[in-house]
Amino acid sequence: MKKVINISLSGHPNMFQADEAAYDVLRQYLERARARLKNDPDREEVIRDLEQSIAEKLAVVVGSGVEVMGIADVNAVLEEIGAVDGDKGSGFADTADQPPRRRLCRIKEGQQIAGVCQGLSAYSSVRVDWVRLVFLLLATSTAGVGALAYVVMMFALPIVSTREEYFAANRDQAGQM
Amino acid sequence: MDSEKFNSLRKGLLEFLILGIISSGKVYAADILQRLRATDFATQEGTLYPLLSKMRREGLLDYEWQESGSGPPRKYYELTSAGRKQLADFRAYWKSLTQLIEQIGERK
Repeated sequence: MKKVINISLSGHPNMFQADEAAYDVLRQYLERARARLKNDPDREEVIRDLEQSIAEKLAVVVGSGVEVMGIADVNAVLEEIGAVDGDKGSGFADTADQPPRRRLCRIKEGQQIAGVCQGLSAYSSVRVDWVRLVFLLLATSTAGVGALAYVVMMFALPIVSTREEYFAANRDQAGQM
Repeated sequence: MDSEKFNSLRKGLLEFLILGIISSGKVYAADILQRLRATDFATQEGTLYPLLSKMRREGLLDYEWQESGSGPPRKYYELTSAGRKQLADFRAYWKSLTQLIEQIGERK
């Protein structure tokens, strides 16, 4: 016998019955919606709105004589609701999905010499202490070639004043792709 | 038609169409979807709700709960004065854009 699961959705008084597979589809839809909206400050409210709409449509299915929702019933409802598009819909870019295109810069904020290591750290998302350590090892183990590399970058790279400014500028670039 | 290019154009305009729909009086989400359904801007709850909540955060619209005859209470949306202003600005801008688009290719 198929397992029947009782579902209650926020914003709607009715309980719905679904088989396990249908329940999983619904749960996955809501999980995906939550993930896509992870940067949306009103995420929980949007999820409640969605649940209410889903419930209203499920109530129609129940009204047509279906007692236990199957996977096809739930899929049809979710198709009407449509996937949540966190990127375009809410204007909150899901930056984890698309690696930002960054430019290497020097960063003045917290600089020891000329901000090259700060810049490399922001560019690569590696902690600045590690970048400095690697540079130091490189400089001492290569008889000055590493130090020369530092000097070259010092002249070649543009400078920005803070990490914040760096990320703001480079996120914009990524957003325009 | 280059559907991809026109698609991104429509995406940017959707917000202003929604402002236009809500400007006609209190509406709830299903009304908005219904009005858009027959147009090129047909959309779904999955897109609409995040957009409405963003517009509310921007202070363009607000909502209140109202009992509905059938089922649970619903959110009815209406424009704030900032929303009405943005819609008016958009309409004026759109008019000037239309003029520009029509005239820019003409040879004098």
